[in-house]
Amino acid sequence: MKRPALLLAVALLLLSFALMSYRILWLRYPIFPAAPEKVWQLSMDAYVKGGEKEATVMIGVPFTHRGQIVVEERIFSATLSFNLLREGADQIGVWSGHIRPTGEVIGYRATIKVQPQHLFKTKPPALGSYPKDIGEAEQKLAKRLVGKWDTLPPPDRFRKIVEAVKGILAPPPPDDQDLRAWSTFQDKHGRVTPFLVLLRAADLPARAAEGLELVESITTSTLVWIQVWTGEEWENLQPEKGEIYQKPVALLPLTTGGDPVVRTLQGDLSEIRWALSQQIIAQWRMHFERIMRSDRWLDRWSLFRLPEEFQTTFRILMLVPIGALMICLLRNIVGFPTFGIFLPVLMALAFRNTGLAYGLGIFWGVVLIGYVIRRWIDKLRLLLVPRPSVILTLVIVCITIFALIGNKLDLREFMAVGLLPFVILTMTIERFFVIIEEAGVREGLWMAAGSAGVAVITYKILQFEPLQLTFFVYPELLFAVAAIQVLVGRYTGYRLLEIFRFRRLGKS
Amino acid sequence: MTILETIRRLREVGVLGMNRRNAEYIMRFNPRSFFPLVDDKLKTKQLAEAHQIPTPPLYHVIEHHGDIPGLERVLSGYQDFVIKPARGAGGSGIVLVKERTAGGFVKQNGQVVPIRDLSYHISDILSGIYSLEGLEDRAFIEGLVHPDMIFDAVTYCGVPDIRIIAYRGVPAMSMVRLPTQASDGKANLHRGAIGVGIDMAGGTTLAGVHRSGVVTHHPDTHEPVTGIQVPHWERMLVIAAKAVDMTGLDYLGVDLVIDQERGPLLLELNARPGLQIQIANQAGLLRRLELIDKAPPEIFGTPERRVAWVLDTFSARPHVH
Repeated sequence: MKRPALLLAVALLLLSFALMSYRILWLRYPIFPAAPEKVWQLSMDAYVKGGEKEATVMIGVPFTHRGQIVVEERIFSATLSFNLLREGADQIGVWSGHIRPTGEVIGYRATIKVQPQHLFKTKPPALGSYPKDIGEAEQKLAKRLVGKWDTLPPPDRFRKIVEAVKGILAPPPPDDQDLRAWSTFQDKHGRVTPFLVLLRAADLPARAAEGLELVESITTSTLVWIQVWTGEEWENLQPEKGEIYQKPVALLPLTTGGDPVVRTLQGDLSEIRWALSQQIIAQWRMHFERIMRSDRWLDRWSLFRLPEEFQTTFRILMLVPIGALMICLLRNIVGFPTFGIFLPVLMALAFRNTGLAYGLGIFWGVVLIGYVIRRWIDKLRLLLVPRPSVILTLVIVCITIFALIGNKLDLREFMAVGLLPFVILTMTIERFFVIIEEAGVREGLWMAAGSAGVAVITYKILQFEPLQLTFFVYPELLFAVAAIQVLVGRYTGYRLLEIFRFRRLGKS
Repeated sequence: MTILETIRRLREVGVLGMNRRNAEYIMRFNPRSFFPLVDDKLKTKQLAEAHQIPTPPLYHVIEHHGDIPGLERVLSGYQDFVIKPARGAGGSGIVLVKERTAGGFVKQNGQVVPIRDLSYHISDILSGIYSLEGLEDRAFIEGLVHPDMIFDAVTYCGVPDIRIIAYRGVPAMSMVRLPTQASDGKANLHRGAIGVGIDMAGGTTLAGVHRSGVVTHHPDTHEPVTGIQVPHWERMLVIAAKAVDMTGLDYLGVDLVIDQERGPLLLELNARPGLQIQIANQAGLLRRLELIDKAPPEIFGTPERRVAWVLDTFSARPHVH
């Protein structure tokens, strides 16, 4: 008898657990959707002056990849048109169109979550070619300079090159002639290109990157650095000082591969300002955007895909079964009496409009007034259907009077009763009366208090936002709730209050 | 005692809890399709008569509001009677009339009411106010039982009744329910009646339970409730055993009254009998049910054999003081 129920419960739990694990491990859902998360708010504002001609401004913007998630993005383009382009490993925002004589202000905002890179296995990049305009002689020169470190592992090779450029020469020193030639080469090409040539000669994939340093700041200029693949991960090198950035890396690349972040074709970008600030948001918000764009099956069937006006309803709906579970626990494990299963749940839903204190006040007020009226009405000998109808009408009269008093006293909560409570209160009055008649006042009050208590607990659960979010992100948790309900349904042990009731039998 | 210790002791004593009763006895042994037989007292009555089990005499059945005006004529032949809803639960909607005077009908508690009140009450019954699911109901009028004098000293108004729980046709535990002032002459424990356990083998009363406390004396008459020999004990056990056969419900509460002239009469059956009986008997029901499950198969043949087995097997625990 117990086995099938137990198996069903286990199956439901496994289903719930499997779906959740899939989301967390493969789709990278947050384990605690309501937990706070630090993110960066990036903003770019620029002023474009035009001439008579059409202007085009291209600016590298961040996008979601393994190292970062772009949560929210907003673009200000004034009268210009805006497009997003992929260019190599970059994403470029393109503003174009006719510039008014007074100029145009364009802007870009993004909320970005930077994820530690070491969490992911990144595919090693291919070794690129030498930078443009580098002749064979220079390539050979570079080969000679770094050749002696060929046997070292990539991270050490990289460090030797950086030290060498800074002038710390490891023995044996290179040929004097080569050094002079290299010095000339550096004078001609600046800092970045020589580094790239040396790294290429040492068979280390490398690329120039331009972007911002991740610190709370406002700046008008971007930063250029070199990203070097050292076998396991990208390392970042500051070319002017020849220093390697310490981990964790606090850099936000906007373009890589040598293209500048800001490019204009005609038109004149006269002012550009970058700002970075830190913010704290709930984890689920970061996944919201991603889920909306994802074409994974579970993502497409996520509750986030519902129109927003329906989402709030489902947030609450997801938790109602927990309320029912609470009632199962209270009745079958504790042995606490309530007016049916649904009454407390409906009351809890009604409390959402009125708030707890006023909700409970209205509940007790209407039930007690209703009880007195019900007693009196009993003498009128009304038939079965008209009688509750009279009570219903009186409940509505009560609520209306409360609302009018609330209005005079400026208490919004008194007016905020929805449509639900009427029916519930009428049912409660009727049940309350019958219980008092059949089992006495004590039993009736005990049961009303039980129902109110369960309603309060259920209400607290419904209003608990982290739980709302968790169930909204992982609706499969409902299967787990059902599993527990099945288990409670097969609980044949004593109820807590029964232990108290029969305790005397256990003595002697 | 800690809670865990109490639970362990209750298990040892074999106390049956609500959850286990529902899941392993009611749901398992009482097919829902047979419930109407016991939920409708008129059906139970007809069934009992078909099986030669005596019940209080049926005077009249009222099925429609249109029949109510004829009530006065129907009642004219009877000095005392009981009005009952066919599907009432827990004794609700039952009115006992013990005599009629010029002013009207004298109810159990001495209150005198006009025929108008009785008509209104019957109308309520027909509307389903007292019925289990609020369905439309039938009202019926039956003879008032004149209870055997044996419980007179420990009864406050009203009619004491005897509840026997039968499992697979074997009477397992029983108690007599004595009305009190608090219960308004009704024999329902939750209304404040006392339940007094009965020794299954001998048919004498043990200690009683009143509002979940143990009592040895009636709260109104102050007479001792223990040690009373219940008359017709064996016959009542046989009726309880037969009730299971006739309903097909294997876990059943059988309610009987003892009439001065006719002896034991079947009042009603209950497919979900309460667990308070365990306190009245100071004994666990589960242990008895398990004993019945272990009984030799040949004893299940006839009601008489099952009762004989009960008289042999179950004997009382010593009185609790």
